[in-house]
Amino acid sequence: MPSQPAIQDRVQAKREVRRIKNLPTVPGIVAKISRMVENPETSAAEVGRLISQDQVLSAKVLRMANSAFFGMSRKISSISQALVILGFEVVKGLVLTSSVFDMIQKSMAGLWEHSIGCAAASGAVATLLGRDDAEEILVAGLLHDLGKVVLALNLPEEMNLVREKVKNGKVLFYEAENEVLDFDHSELGQWLAEHWNLPESLAEPMRLHHRPEKAVLKPECTAIVHIADIIIRAKGFGNAGDLLVPPVSMAAWEMLGLRKTDFLPILDILEPKLSSLCDITSID
Amino acid sequence: MKRIPIDKAVPGQVLAEKLTRHDGVLLAGQGSAITEGLLRMLARMNIDSVVIEEEESRSVEEVLEDFRRFTQDLDARFVRIEPQSVLQALKKTMLYLAEKDRDETLALINNPVSASEGSAEPPQGAAESVNA
Ligand SMILES: [Fe+2]
Ligand SMILES: [Fe+2]
Repeated sequence: MPSQPAIQDRVQAKREVRRIKNLPTVPGIVAKISRMVENPETSAAEVGRLISQDQVLSAKVLRMANSAFFGMSRKISSISQALVILGFEVVKGLVLTSSVFDMIQKSMAGLWEHSIGCAAASGAVATLLGRDDAEEILVAGLLHDLGKVVLALNLPEEMNLVREKVKNGKVLFYEAENEVLDFDHSELGQWLAEHWNLPESLAEPMRLHHRPEKAVLKPECTAIVHIADIIIRAKGFGNAGDLLVPPVSMAAWEMLGLRKTDFLPILDILEPKLSSLCDITSID
Repeated sequence: MKRIPIDKAVPGQVLAEKLTRHDGVLLAGQGSAITEGLLRMLARMNIDSVVIEEEESRSVEEVLEDFRRFTQDLDARFVRIEPQSVLQALKKTMLYLAEKDRDETLALINNPVSASEGSAEPPQGAAESVNA
């Protein structure tokens, strides 16, 4: 056993999670959109009107929709246009991201950059694989480490212990989390995803991006986010808490049918996107 | 080259990509310089970013030093996964791209005019050596 486990066993660890009182609430507008979208009668224009009521939020969403992420050849100038072009799920993901942006930025230096980098890399891998749901996978990459925000905001003492362990440059963040807490940010992410009622395309990558071979509902999306996390860490873009490249899940790699020569075209797609993402690293 | 928002663009910067209107009509060719007039036109057309050639302000020594630091950081990031061949391929690819970038930058410093015109196709061997 490590010398200073804050929590002795798993049962107590689970209790610890429940101790977290101020779990961030789902942004009201995201909950509203979810309810609207569940209703098949809802039109894009109605959802568009709801989002447009919040001008700051719509500006942030449009800024992301027009960023290098999506590489649109035409400017998206309204929320309803974004809904038509990018789809409900993607716009919902962008609304969610805009709503938690401040939280991500405040919790850990470099995590926002890691998140948008992983999003761009997820998009690049999905594009190379010719997937038509590349935008949705990109949003999953954007939110994959949200569990770290819960950790930073709610368990600051444990977070400091984790940081200490990571300092030597040999331990991955999630390994340190497991030593200190007996769970890691992927479980916190799952918990948040359930609490917020997020779709599986976001929830499963959040829960399983470090163990993608366990994914059953969205295995390919989860595998792509897993590979994208590795690629963006290899590039040294942003800071996910540690500066190490984690091992790749060979099961995920083989399931996607990727080859070693695919890294070059993936990085070719990714590079220009990263250099132009600087304009959304501060979206206020 | 890098993409910059239109409010950061100034006359004299060189376009690294041709600029087209949303319907595809050419506004300014690759390699042409940004002018006051072009900036006004872009603002009217709601074009909010341009891709420009980056000016190289580093010296040869600084470029080599940056490259050395990059390889050091790269080794540190990959310290845990030496045996995984997929990750070795990723590391090799990163290194190949950094070397290419270093060589292009050095060429640009040594010969500012011709380097921006004749940037060659990437050598075929690069992708293959990654696979080896
Ligand atoms: Fe993670
Ligand atoms: Fe990550």
